[in-house]
Amino acid sequence: MFSRPEIIIEARDLAYTYYSGEDADSSPALSGINLAVYRGEYVALIGPNGSGKTTLLKLFNALLAPTDGEVRVEGISTVEEENIPRIRRTCGMIFQNPDNQLVATTVEEDIAFGLENLALPSAEIRQKVGDVARLLGLEDLLQQPPHLLSGGEKQRVAIAGVLAMQPGCILMDEPTSMLDPAGRRDVIDTVCELNRNRGIAVVHVTHFPEEAVFAGRVIVLNQGRLIRQGPPEEVLTDLSLLHDLGLQGPAAVELAALLREDGFSLQPQLLHRRELVNSLCSLERKS
Amino acid sequence: MFIGTEKLTHTYMPGTPFATEALDEVSFSLKRGEFALIIGPSGSGKSTLVQHLNGLLRPTSGRVFFEGQEISSDKRGLLHLRRRIGLVFQMPEEQFFSESVYAEVAFAPHNLGLDESEIKNRVKDALGKVGLNAEQLQDRHPFQLSAGQKRLVAVAAVLSLNPEVLILDEPTAGLDPAGRRNLFDLLAMLNRDSGLTVIISTHHLDEVAALADRIIVLQHGRLVLEGVAKEILTRRQQLDDLGLALPAVTEILHGLAERGLPVRTDIFTLAGARAEINKLKGRREL
Repeated sequence: MFSRPEIIIEARDLAYTYYSGEDADSSPALSGINLAVYRGEYVALIGPNGSGKTTLLKLFNALLAPTDGEVRVEGISTVEEENIPRIRRTCGMIFQNPDNQLVATTVEEDIAFGLENLALPSAEIRQKVGDVARLLGLEDLLQQPPHLLSGGEKQRVAIAGVLAMQPGCILMDEPTSMLDPAGRRDVIDTVCELNRNRGIAVVHVTHFPEEAVFAGRVIVLNQGRLIRQGPPEEVLTDLSLLHDLGLQGPAAVELAALLREDGFSLQPQLLHRRELVNSLCSLERKS
Repeated sequence: MFIGTEKLTHTYMPGTPFATEALDEVSFSLKRGEFALIIGPSGSGKSTLVQHLNGLLRPTSGRVFFEGQEISSDKRGLLHLRRRIGLVFQMPEEQFFSESVYAEVAFAPHNLGLDESEIKNRVKDALGKVGLNAEQLQDRHPFQLSAGQKRLVAVAAVLSLNPEVLILDEPTAGLDPAGRRNLFDLLAMLNRDSGLTVIISTHHLDEVAALADRIIVLQHGRLVLEGVAKEILTRRQQLDDLGLALPAVTEILHGLAERGLPVRTDIFTLAGARAEINKLKGRREL
């Protein structure tokens, strides 16, 4: 039996304008956005600086209220004040700089922060914190002060804090841009695992095409509009689209395009480095 | 030695239970006009090191040199030093405080006590150097600019001092690919055409590896590797162990080499990788 995937976040005719003082005629940060994120889906959101990616995430999480149109999370509107706690539990947010989102003096207290605000009994909090810490490999760090952790560890603590609330979706705004390569890998592996094995939806804003390849769907924003969406092997291989926006494809895609110009007949739509290496090696064998 | 350190050690909060050694006997030196990278995993001491280079931090022990002399610690000496060695912080636009782009860039020359017409020239010059149109942008509020433009204004605000050394701490964090390319092109040009010494601390080698003359590698506050960029970038395993990654195109060449294809792996640009792979064509019909 085929069942339709359930929508977790839906935007209808969504528009948002930042009003800055006397500048009343400022152009909208987002307009005409119609979009559904499905339960268990992994969406990468790409676009140049200022294209509206962060604004869209903040609208999903009720940090901003739409200027026009609406956002519904699990069917409930983000506009009504009384819905907001539930929406933020369902859609947890991870920000760019881990130092801006860790609040407590130990990792354990930090992960427990959201749960404590729900006024759960302390035994239950302790158990939930222990569960997510085990899941994310943070058990040994629970008594550490967060500021002594590496960047990747800090972001995992932030993810653990979100995860403890049993969210349906994790929203991530360039979560790796302050991290070193090892920290980046650490965070991406964690998120992919949660998406695959726990069915948690992910909306991941990134400037790194190499990270967007992990998504099931890539959405491209430009000047506040949704201009393209599709699987990574279609969107991230459309270099004329990406270059027009000042974006890049993954290195393997960029290099493959140049080599095709030089007459190499490479496998179409290759996305990963390994695929490019394989494709080149098989040409070598055939010759 | 144009700029460098000798056994530089820095301990944060010394003499307290929270004492942490951020730098441990770090020694290196650069020549005038070099383009250098300071790389290392998060927490390896990169930001601490660059803050020593323009006298923002004082060594716990060891010394910092500029033009062969130990940098002085008195106020006048430091002021003079900071005119000649400009530092662009991480996410510098978060520290904007002026109402206009002009005022933001004019702040430092103003503090030098220059007269208005000279300040005007400096601002126009600095914005021009970073490729921004002064007439179009100088009256705007900095927050009305794009992220890439804000970052360039922050660089211009330091260039307005006409420094001889420009240090940038993680300069491309949060920028989109066009913004990153734009900034690196600018730094390469300033280095090449004006002889500006450029020092960048980063953990992303992808776009910047090909520009570097020298690389300094830190781990846990210690200098673990230092040398000519091309040579350091051949130490793939060592960099990998440090949690650092070679440029993606270099990794692709390594992948081919591991599969027995005769390609060089000391290539760090897309164009270079393309040319190298094209050489395979002549070998056999590929």
